[in-house]
Amino acid sequence: MTKAGMTQPGLTKTGMIDFRDVNKWFGALNVLRDITLSVEPREVVVVCGPSGSGKSTLIRCINGLETIKDGHLIVDGQRVGDPATNMTQLRTEIGFVFQSFNLYPHKTALENVTLAPIHVRKIPRAEAEQAGRELLAKVGLADKVNAYPAQLSGGQQQRVAIARCLGMRPKIMLFDEPTSALDPEMISEVLDVMVAVAEEGMTMMVVTHEMGFARKVAQRVVFMDAGAIVESGTPDEFFSHPKTDRSRAFLSKILRH
Amino acid sequence: MLENFSFRTIVEYLPLFGQGLVTTVWLSAISFVGALLVGIALCAMNLQRGWLFRAPAKAYIDAVRATPLLAQLYFLYFGLPRLGFVLPELVVGILALSLNSGAYIAEIIRAGILSIPRGQVEASVASGMTYTQRMRLVVLPQAFKVTIPPLLGQAIVLVKDSALLSLISVAELTRAGQLLASDRFMPAEGFLTIAAFYLLLYYGLKALAGLSGRWLGTAGART
Ligand SMILES: Nc1ncnc2c1ncn2[C@@H]1O[C@H](COP(=O)(O)OP(=O)(O)O)[C@@H](O)[C@H]1O
Ligand SMILES: [Mg+2]
Repeated sequence: MTKAGMTQPGLTKTGMIDFRDVNKWFGALNVLRDITLSVEPREVVVVCGPSGSGKSTLIRCINGLETIKDGHLIVDGQRVGDPATNMTQLRTEIGFVFQSFNLYPHKTALENVTLAPIHVRKIPRAEAEQAGRELLAKVGLADKVNAYPAQLSGGQQQRVAIARCLGMRPKIMLFDEPTSALDPEMISEVLDVMVAVAEEGMTMMVVTHEMGFARKVAQRVVFMDAGAIVESGTPDEFFSHPKTDRSRAFLSKILRH
Repeated sequence: MLENFSFRTIVEYLPLFGQGLVTTVWLSAISFVGALLVGIALCAMNLQRGWLFRAPAKAYIDAVRATPLLAQLYFLYFGLPRLGFVLPELVVGILALSLNSGAYIAEIIRAGILSIPRGQVEASVASGMTYTQRMRLVVLPQAFKVTIPPLLGQAIVLVKDSALLSLISVAELTRAGQLLASDRFMPAEGFLTIAAFYLLLYYGLKALAGLSGRWLGTAGART
């Protein structure tokens, strides 16, 4: 029953992602309440909880898509929200996979993957394209290099989106319900890619209700409710022996489907 | 009435109509380019976060859209000389059309930019792109496609609006019709002929809108 990676506030050691007493409000709504959470390098943390509990907001704070009101958030040794931190630079180290893919529709799969490496990382085009082709092959889309997003299924689009993040050679990958918008038969093709990424040692935070994925690769499951982290444990602890009424209620709901 | 309709006089005046048509075309073209520049500048101001640039841009756009073009034209025609700027009528006319259409174009471009789904903007932010990179690589190439049909619609409006320049005696197409009407007391001949020429210009621009629509894979301009 170890709480792997749970760092107490005030401890000097910092993880790859370190939330300390983070609070955030949307108007009067306290969307994140006293969040303290540390993710170690190479660790995979699954975040789950009811809709509206603040899961998306939590991971969107990490790359500054949302700003925090108070507390500290340190990512890869840099303080998020500090004027001294170059957020644009920090974001190049963090891949973000959205529920709705958000591919660039006017670009082919390969162009989606190479756009940021060429223009942000300043990698020579030929080299970026070579790497892009390899990444697309790795996610099983070698034959879709020149396809436009509109010509791809949801599962294929999400795999391109993952390849697009990997093209930046990030240190951290964040996933916000990457399979929630997919037809059931396409979920596993995306999860397989995510498992492969996890097994290569990527530091990952994944908002998902996919228990199979969590059991396979996650070191930790974090359960959120009403903006707070209510429970945290290994996948086995959490799914087999949930400790709180709220997590039991939540699990009974997702298990029924 | 039709037995009195003088095609002969129209033919006689054709060179004048031709000159008027050519003037209408090039002054509209220059005004449209001017309007694009005004529109882009206004839109850039309007998309800023701070009110310092946004407020004047919004006020300008509202003022232009709320007042008649004729009033704006007279405002410049009679107002500029009082401020010490004595400009040829043609220049005043082009200025008025550019400043007027620019306000509408600013809104067309803004709508195009705002039509790009937020998710794509977030994806580009998340990949570490700067504001300029995001605009250049993701937003503008797509917004461009969306704005072409309404921009051509605005071009059609501008061509028709240029008729007002006849009131400050610019020798464009409508002026040619007025001359025929007043010199020979033939308003029917004069104004029907210019109507036919405007129709021609309209179909020309509409064909262009249709072509660009097909080329861009979007629906043609709604005009
Ligand atoms: N931009 C926003 N403005 C106001 N409220 C928001 C905004 N984004 C999210 N919220 C609210 O914050 C809460 C948490 O949202 P979110 O993080 O998306 O939850 P989850 O991802 O767990 O479903 C919800 O109540 C949601 O309605
Ligand atoms: Mg969410």
